[in-house]
Amino acid sequence: MHLFAKNVHCALHSSEFAKVMKADSLFALGVLTLFSVGYAPAADRFITLNNEPVGTLEEPLLLRTYLPDPGLGREVLANHDIGHRARKYSPGKGDVEGFDDPIRGIPAAIAVNFGPDFSYCWDTTECRLLYVWQGGFLKMENYWGKPESGRRKSFGYIPELAGPLIYLAQGSHPLAVFDEFLKTDPPVFMGYRLVDRVPEFEYTQGGAMIRVKIVPGAVPMTFVKHYAISRTEAVGYAESGYRQKIEYSDPLHFTVTVTGRLVSGSGQEELPPEYSTKKPNSDWGKALYTQLGCLACHSTDGTRGHGPSFAGVFGSNRKITGVEEPVFANEDYIIESIQKPMEKVVDGFPPGYMPPYLIPDEQIRSLVLYLKTLKNE
Amino acid sequence: MKSLSLILMVVTWVSTHAFADDGYRIESISFPEGVPPEVGAIGFNNSGELVVALRRSDVIIAKPTDDPQKFEWRLFASGLHNACGMHVISDSEIIISQMPELTRITDTDGDGLGDHYETINASWGMSGNYHETNHLTPDGKGGYFLAIGTASHNGPVFYNVRGTYSKTGRRGRNFSAASWKGWVLHVDAEGKMTPFCKGFRMHNGILRDRDGNLWAGDNQGDWRATTPFYHLQEDQFYGHPSSLVWDAGWDGRDPLTLPLEELASKTTPAAILLPHDLMNRSASEPIQVPSEAFGPYGGQILLPDNNGERINRLMLEKVAGQYQGACTHFWNGNGLKLGNNRVAFSPDESTLYIGQTSRGWGNLAEGLQRIIRTEKPVFDLLFMSLTKNGFRLQFTSPVPDSATELSNYSMKRYRYEDGPNYGGDKLDETPLTVTKVAKVDPKTIELEIADLKDGGHVHELTVGLKELRSQVHCYTVNRFREE
Repeated sequence: MHLFAKNVHCALHSSEFAKVMKADSLFALGVLTLFSVGYAPAADRFITLNNEPVGTLEEPLLLRTYLPDPGLGREVLANHDIGHRARKYSPGKGDVEGFDDPIRGIPAAIAVNFGPDFSYCWDTTECRLLYVWQGGFLKMENYWGKPESGRRKSFGYIPELAGPLIYLAQGSHPLAVFDEFLKTDPPVFMGYRLVDRVPEFEYTQGGAMIRVKIVPGAVPMTFVKHYAISRTEAVGYAESGYRQKIEYSDPLHFTVTVTGRLVSGSGQEELPPEYSTKKPNSDWGKALYTQLGCLACHSTDGTRGHGPSFAGVFGSNRKITGVEEPVFANEDYIIESIQKPMEKVVDGFPPGYMPPYLIPDEQIRSLVLYLKTLKNE
Repeated sequence: MKSLSLILMVVTWVSTHAFADDGYRIESISFPEGVPPEVGAIGFNNSGELVVALRRSDVIIAKPTDDPQKFEWRLFASGLHNACGMHVISDSEIIISQMPELTRITDTDGDGLGDHYETINASWGMSGNYHETNHLTPDGKGGYFLAIGTASHNGPVFYNVRGTYSKTGRRGRNFSAASWKGWVLHVDAEGKMTPFCKGFRMHNGILRDRDGNLWAGDNQGDWRATTPFYHLQEDQFYGHPSSLVWDAGWDGRDPLTLPLEELASKTTPAAILLPHDLMNRSASEPIQVPSEAFGPYGGQILLPDNNGERINRLMLEKVAGQYQGACTHFWNGNGLKLGNNRVAFSPDESTLYIGQTSRGWGNLAEGLQRIIRTEKPVFDLLFMSLTKNGFRLQFTSPVPDSATELSNYSMKRYRYEDGPNYGGDKLDETPLTVTKVAKVDPKTIELEIADLKDGGHVHELTVGLKELRSQVHCYTVNRFREE
């Protein structure tokens, strides 16, 4: 289930992106500076024998290290292979009694801390936010050992989170980039930039460069993911399990504000849906309008966007590029416009801007029902 | 020696414990308060500043001062996972090999802090095992050769593995459960990876010398009866079997079950074997002495011991088309710490900096030291080479008359046999007879010795000349000279 923002041939300029990012992070800082503690200039912020280093809102602390897997599902870790139980081995005797079991860790993720209230784990293999926690950063003793004893080696190997999770990723990657055949390749991590000390991760997928920055939200328990996507065929964003708000600056720049909650146990609980998905209905269509990202181009209040507004579309006569007679917008017209948007392009809008949406029939019907509710204002 | 104030001399004296000046002196360099000197990699930038990558996170920089206690450290980069290889490109750009990837760190806005961390390549797997560290050396064309170490049975693997997991590769003491462990990989200037050679246990240090030869040591352990030093050649196999599971042409057998004879027949032998304890226990980063500014050893390779207060000096020569040669001590005790891991020469080439760490690997050792060439002349055995029926010994300066006395030379030979057990004993230890000593020029002695043996036999020579800096030299005879 994904939104598509089609084929916008505008390069991603880092300055533009930084502008969008900065405005928002400044806003966040304004609210959250109240909670920050222990500010120190970067030059003095060496990592020391202290096994519990922390960052601040102004200067988040990024640490690449082994990280715990607090119960992530296989769908989340789809690009990881699986380690198996291995027979114990003795160099002299070969296989011996007993087994060595793998432990639950994430090998190549990045952890970032913004002070006591916000830390997250972003993975370079899945190119995805894996989890968010509060109450401090990492307890590194398991990996770095006790400062002054023995070999400074501990046998836990994986650091511990200092506080409770408020977000744990579920399901497949929320952001999908499709190639021209509507397939997704595994993402490829390209690195990160520190913009005003805040990391912005970069990865490629399906020919697109995606940049994402994650910062604490203005309200407790919330955080904001800022996305910037380069020229691409089609992108979809949808994530289940958490209340979230998607806001577009334009089809290639958007933010997702996620409301976290204390995650207990494995964290695999689901939010009750606010609409039924048993059969097509307009509430479901309204949700899809956001989830699929239709809102990036189509308003519901008559405002002109990259695409025609949805207000009053249903039952109206449409002026189609290259067609003399107006076309009546009935159900078939709406369905065709979703599945084959190139067939009838409304006059005054660029052709080839919207990709085909090959979504299930009941979702298309729900969208039609939703469009029927949108009258001209 | 530069002029030093009295106070400085006292500080230096304390920090070096006033070890005798034999042409070199050693100093310990202090770190910022509270920062553990777990040195993963070192190098120098264009401004002559020392760049140090620490294994917990940070890359720090300081301009070396005459007083080793007065380095003013500043932060350049942070957040790295076990950075163990570094190539300093400029004041604003470094290349780091850290546990998960090869990374380019650039300070793009000139504020002195790296702000762009670009992943150049991350094509090797990560099982989650703590032991899978790596090292790099530039290929001279904008790319890198990477040594990717194996995992240790002293720690677990993860359920979630990056890259591909191999059940077969997981077996063994040091094992290769995830892609490309125990290999040398080549990453070109565009970031594309090509496997280069295989069969390593813990090749904690790789060097491309100024002639373009690639070298790496390995750590004594399973399939390593003693510390080897290898001349790396494309597609060759160097004896540790676990890495074979990642070979595209591998037949799927469990490498640990291969008959020893079959393994031996596939294996390219070490150019030099460094007898355990006597010479080295855990070879780390090799470095080529750049010039005579560091004394008489210009062009030779030094090889530190991560598990000994030692730095070896290697004397390599081509015999019958392949490199082989001798090792000796460049440094042994005399104020050097344990944990010698990474090395770099100062820009003026007169000082060797040594970074130390062993956290998680052995008894705790860490620090940063430097060995400075003094003005005192060095008298040493500069080069030991194989002749048709013995060895030629080239000294750094004219030898005393006693150098022609037979009683000043004794030699024994022995060999090692690699196998699944950790380390291995000297085998077939045999005293040899020096039958003739001849001075062929004022600085050169030739020895005739009966019963030399090829096929990897180590020939341990002790020279009794008291003034000599290094008295024990071990030559590994793989091949005899052709007629």
